[in-house]
Amino acid sequence: MRRGFPVLAALALALCLLLALSAGESWIPPSGIWAALARFDETRQADVIVIYQRLPRALIAMLAGAALSMSGAVLQGVLRNPLASPSLVGINAGAALAVVAGAFLLGLEPRAQGSAALAGGGLGFLASLGVARLAGHAHDPRGLALILSGAIVSMFLGGLTQALLLSDPALRQDYLGWLGGNVSHVHAERLADFWGLAALGMAAMLLLARRLSLLALGAEKAASLGIDVARTQLLALGAAVLASASAVAICGPLGFLGLVVPHLVRPLTGARFGALLPGCALAGACLCLLADLIARMALAPLALHTGVVLELLGGIAFMLMVRRFYLRGAEA
Amino acid sequence: MSSRALDGRRVLRLPGGMQIGLANLAAALALTLTSLGLGAVSLSWGETRLDLLAPLDADQAFALYQVRLPRLLLGFMAGWSVALAGAMLQSLARNPLADPGLLGLSQGAMVAIMVLTVLAPGLPPAWLPGAALLGGLAVAALLLALVRGHAGGLAVLLMGIALESTLSAVTAVLVLYTPPETSHALAGWMAGSLALADWPRVTMLAPWFAASPIAILLLGRALRLIDLGTPMAMALGLDAARARVAVLIVAVLLSSAALTAVGPLMFLGVMAPQLAAALSPASGRARLVLAALTGGLLVTAADMLARNAGTDIGLPVGLVLVTLGAPLFVLAMRMRLFLRMSSS
Repeated sequence: MRRGFPVLAALALALCLLLALSAGESWIPPSGIWAALARFDETRQADVIVIYQRLPRALIAMLAGAALSMSGAVLQGVLRNPLASPSLVGINAGAALAVVAGAFLLGLEPRAQGSAALAGGGLGFLASLGVARLAGHAHDPRGLALILSGAIVSMFLGGLTQALLLSDPALRQDYLGWLGGNVSHVHAERLADFWGLAALGMAAMLLLARRLSLLALGAEKAASLGIDVARTQLLALGAAVLASASAVAICGPLGFLGLVVPHLVRPLTGARFGALLPGCALAGACLCLLADLIARMALAPLALHTGVVLELLGGIAFMLMVRRFYLRGAEA
Repeated sequence: MSSRALDGRRVLRLPGGMQIGLANLAAALALTLTSLGLGAVSLSWGETRLDLLAPLDADQAFALYQVRLPRLLLGFMAGWSVALAGAMLQSLARNPLADPGLLGLSQGAMVAIMVLTVLAPGLPPAWLPGAALLGGLAVAALLLALVRGHAGGLAVLLMGIALESTLSAVTAVLVLYTPPETSHALAGWMAGSLALADWPRVTMLAPWFAASPIAILLLGRALRLIDLGTPMAMALGLDAARARVAVLIVAVLLSSAALTAVGPLMFLGVMAPQLAAALSPASGRARLVLAALTGGLLVTAADMLARNAGTDIGLPVGLVLVTLGAPLFVLAMRMRLFLRMSSS
């Protein structure tokens, strides 16, 4: 299973991509997709749908899914907390607030909003760490205080975001959809602006993979093997914030991919980051495509936001994980 | 002072707690008068006080009796109820971050209300409080079932957060189905707003508010024992399991009633008890009363800001609370930490 996993995951991703391009209001067979990609003809309606609507949407979903899942795996590893993920430690909420504040208060161009998201994501994360230190129990071996304070900080940042949204009804409509975690072709420009940042973050995480695996053995062991522990941690956290904040800048906060995907992938690839991170990227992209498909199809003609579908599925997964990691353990 | 050897800190600090309580009451009075005076139609201090004796003109009377007075009462009662529920839940979970919102109890009530609004739009509003209570209780029961055997500790909070986020996704789906004419009013309510305050809402919340002192009286001792830890509480003769369930039910009742009236007041349940505790480290009933008073005052003050500052339509009070609340909360945490360190 371990050796075959990358091939299987890549196949699954290809299948999901095909499905995402084909399925929708009108079914476009694979031959039609091939025709649209190879010989694009603006007068054919199917081609326009594939190239201008479904393809950008699928690309956004794959990029966001991969970036958030990898960030989740890295956060869980570095913070040594099975529940760490971009949506639970304040990164998503901070990035979202920064983008909205930049657009509403400073009138930032979409391109500059990327840097705002980055700064916001970092600040949200630091704020969660800070509150965790203030409110944390002295005896908190499993780092639960961080997740709680992340929830509190996210609540606070979300409140600020809502207040800003109410201040300008005209802009509000534009950003309301984005804030719900809306994977949509209208955000194709944002994809063009931010994919580079997300890719940079993901590449940095992959480069750090070997050192992260050693770090997982414990800080002292890693240090004795010649790893600069503090620097590796800082770089890895920075890369995770970079990747997830740019994903948020593209399609708004998508919850729970970062939490759930690493736990799904880890039993299949093992805990080594060199195998785990690519596995997370593939599986995250797959899951996000499927969630987007559900969002488009489930209640048609009403279209759900992809973020809502992810939150619904992820919330249930979250409950199961709390049971598995914290309640089962307490019984034993 | 004879009990000082047994419980020295309490005897020393209770007078301080009473002082804070009196200061709180004085602040409440001043705030009430100021709040009644400020607004689009301004009234002088004299007018708000003496109005009972001398009649006002029509505009002023409308502003005072139909807008500001119900709003003030509703805000105070809702703040009181939510803060009280928060203080109780914090004892229950033995964690200062427990809150009806964070544990998903508010979301449960909200989902119930929205299901009714969507499925039966013609339903009289008198049904809503009952639905909210049922929704909140259902989530509480679910929470207890999910964490069976681990009534305290952080795992309960984590499970609550998981429930909360699942239910908020359900809420987002339900919003899609709300008819457009109700969705606007619903959006304001969902942010926590006193803009819809009127006398029917006041009379809806009033019985719960009036019953809360009884709950404080009955449960105050049990809560103080729970604060000492389950083994200690049981050694002192408390049926811990039953007391917990009773406290949980009361907290759900209070927070659901407040939610029906004004929407979710996020963060208040965490913030008010923290602030009260930072000002005066009381325990038992005094702690509950101080927390509830602080909650009522915070909402009154926040609503005064929400009405008078910002845009011409005013901000929802829930947002002002969250925005002001978080820094205050961190400050309160720091103060408690400081007190704990300097006292030990």
